Amino acid sequence: MHITDETLRAMIRDYQGFELSDEELALVRLEVDAYTSAVEDLGDLDLSDVPSGRQLRAQEGGQS
Amino acid sequence: MADTQLTRLTISELAPRIRAREISPVEVTEAALAMADRLQPTINSFITILHDEARKQAREAEEALARGDYRGPLHGIPIGIKDNIATGGILTTVGSKVLADYVPDEDAHVVKLAKDAGAIILGKENLEEFAAGPTSINAHYGAVHNPWNLDHVAGGSSGGGGANAASCVTFASLGTDLGGSVRGPGSYCGIVGLKQTFGRVSQRGLLVTSFNGDHIGPLTRSVEDSALVLQAIAGYDPLEPSTVPVPVPDFTADLEKGIKGLKMGIPSNYYFDLLDPEVEDTVRRAIAALEELGAEPVDVSIPSLKYHSAMRFAFMADSLVTHEPYLKSNREDYGPTVLYRTLGGQFVLGTHYAKALKVQRLLKEEHARALQQVDFIVAPTMPNPAHRIDQETLRIRDVEQPVRGPGSGIVSRCTQPSNATGLPAISVPCGFNGAGLPIGLQLIGRPFDEATLFRVGHTYEAVSPARGRRPPIVDGG
Repeated sequence: MHITDETLRAMIRDYQGFELSDEELALVRLEVDAYTSAVEDLGDLDLSDVPSGRQLRAQEGGQS
Repeated sequence: MADTQLTRLTISELAPRIRAREISPVEVTEAALAMADRLQPTINSFITILHDEARKQAREAEEALARGDYRGPLHGIPIGIKDNIATGGILTTVGSKVLADYVPDEDAHVVKLAKDAGAIILGKENLEEFAAGPTSINAHYGAVHNPWNLDHVAGGSSGGGGANAASCVTFASLGTDLGGSVRGPGSYCGIVGLKQTFGRVSQRGLLVTSFNGDHIGPLTRSVEDSALVLQAIAGYDPLEPSTVPVPVPDFTADLEKGIKGLKMGIPSNYYFDLLDPEVEDTVRRAIAALEELGAEPVDVSIPSLKYHSAMRFAFMADSLVTHEPYLKSNREDYGPTVLYRTLGGQFVLGTHYAKALKVQRLLKEEHARALQQVDFIVAPTMPNPAHRIDQETLRIRDVEQPVRGPGSGIVSRCTQPSNATGLPAISVPCGFNGAGLPIGLQLIGRPFDEATLFRVGHTYEAVSPARGRRPPIVDGG
């Protein structure tokens, strides 16, 4: 997955209401690239029948 | 008793002497304030020092003692509060310029409990801006300096609390831990940092945080002190839905039981994969010491940790939602590392957020299975000793990442999983690198079984190479 600079700039403008300079965009890009890299790390992991973590409290697991 | 001798004591050493009225809360508070005033220009650990309020509280604590109203081990003990935890009528900046003038109406629940237990609030402690990073290099209030080497970070985001407790300014500090922000400063500053089970301590009054896995926890100079502070702040809070109505045990009851026969899980994947060599050597020696003390080693595997980076999706999106109102109105007041990292959250897809929560479930299930085989898991706390303040990136083997801000994450890779699982985890000092910087051993336990972590940590503490060592600046060096 690649997110173009134009998309980055437009989404920040539309959702947050301000323009980013090229230098600022490069800094946001570092975080976005870390995100897309983490997406790739998931690869073909099948999560279709895994419940959400929000449905389990720490209290409910691990007690033997 | 000289200021330094007095403030070097631990809570468990000092409390009986306060109770016996050998040492007064006023005397202790004056000594702590003198240490704070002496070291603040050097370590920059406070945003606000509460001279008048602390003295007033100390006098009240002394009067209560005179009436026979002893409130427990925290009575008359000066502590610090991270500046993202609300204090009624007292400036609470969250380390930001955005909230530079914010004064909450009421105390956070933990602050109220600490005061009820007799603790003296010495000041509001410096932190990473909005508690959003592992260095406590603050764009608005300056960097917190590591008391062991002033050119190095104290860790973050609870760096002020770590530096204060390590340098004997406070006897304990309350920090917050969303990805390792209590345990990290504990490791980097050579003290004990606890992130108890999610739901054990109320977060009511914790400001500008992600909902997903934040914890208020103590930084102390001993494991026993950690247990004493948790005892005072733990418990169900009906006004805070994430707290769980489970009994709060006596956390010090089992401290002297030893660890013979306890099963110690040694992770065969992830935790030891990316470490500074001196950290790995030191932690492996600590594990060998635990074995000599009677713990039985068992290899455990948590395969889903290879997908752990997915937790970043939830963190990014939650962070943006938290900051959205401030970003729209106060963009210019943000420091660059928090601003640009936060804006990255705009691009997280809902499907990826949902996947992150499913990975979180896998992590919880696999940790739960591992903790059915063993009583606790051992791991490093941080992958490195504290890095230099002027250092932009950290390189371990072939991986190089920024130490904070956009694209960072390497320094919290061993602490963050316990925020995802909600399991209790404690960092205990286990030695120093060749340059004299502390290294922490992390113990991870079963849900709501902090008592076992205290028992193991206290037993190990007696043989730790870090035992009793304090930074030279404590004595003016």
